[in-house]
Amino acid sequence: MTWGEDKQLVARALASPDTAAFGELVRRHQSHVRNFLRKLAGDYTLADDLAQECFMHAWDKLHTYSGKGTFIGWLLKVAYTTFLQSKRKSRRYAEILEQVGHVSVAEERMSTPASEDIGDLDRFLAVLNEEERAIMVMSYALGMSHREISESLGMPAGTVKSVIHRAKQRIRTSFDIKDHQHG
Amino acid sequence: MTSKIINMAERIRDEDDRLLETMFAASPIADDGFSALVVRRIRRKVMLRRLSLPLAALIGGAIAFKPLVALAGFAQQLFLQLPDELVASATESLPALQFVVTGGLLLLVAVMALNMIED
Repeated sequence: MTWGEDKQLVARALASPDTAAFGELVRRHQSHVRNFLRKLAGDYTLADDLAQECFMHAWDKLHTYSGKGTFIGWLLKVAYTTFLQSKRKSRRYAEILEQVGHVSVAEERMSTPASEDIGDLDRFLAVLNEEERAIMVMSYALGMSHREISESLGMPAGTVKSVIHRAKQRIRTSFDIKDHQHG
Repeated sequence: MTSKIINMAERIRDEDDRLLETMFAASPIADDGFSALVVRRIRRKVMLRRLSLPLAALIGGAIAFKPLVALAGFAQQLFLQLPDELVASATESLPALQFVVTGGLLLLVAVMALNMIED
């Protein structure tokens, strides 16, 4: 799976437009995108729905991929934006439900999973904000370099580094991570 | 040089980093028809987008056809009411306005249908 091949597939997908070439891109990167969203959302079904939406957005915006960074980096940016949009939408929906008196439905939608369903990683991620979570997942789960993350999220590499440092500090102060190494 | 130093610094992972890497490690997710589903959704979207313009033109044309024909008839009547000296004798050889409008609409629909078939 090389960057050059991705670029060729993007060019092919844009030229015709060729849905088969785009399908190949989806096949190559679905695992990374779904893993990223599963860790961000903490809900597999929601994450897979978001992954589908992400690829639909990616198809619509494919012409905006300049080819400067890696395709997966660009794709993860689309995934992150899709996640934030969905979060904003569900928050707005919950607010509307609360306003019209459907408090129980709103609470149900916003509720967190039962404590026994939460793994150690979920507990770690829960103390981080969305930006920190996205950057930590990119760095530790997907093995992206600070530069790749900065290109993907459009922020300076120094900021990425300080966000990682801050997130690690927060995890350290909230948990003794050595106790969780087999979790 | 600076970037090399940064890359080296990134590679130096402490114990916490290694633990976090283990915790975050995720096994690859099997495709299980996911990409096929996405491609199906995209193809449906592309098809709908291609169909929407000709379809809108067809519906618009169908709705506008009757009033357009009536308008053409009215314009023809107005034209006939003009003083004879203003109307050149050559105009008699021109086709009626109704036929021009109908022909134009049919041509438009045919062009759109051809484009759709080509796609």
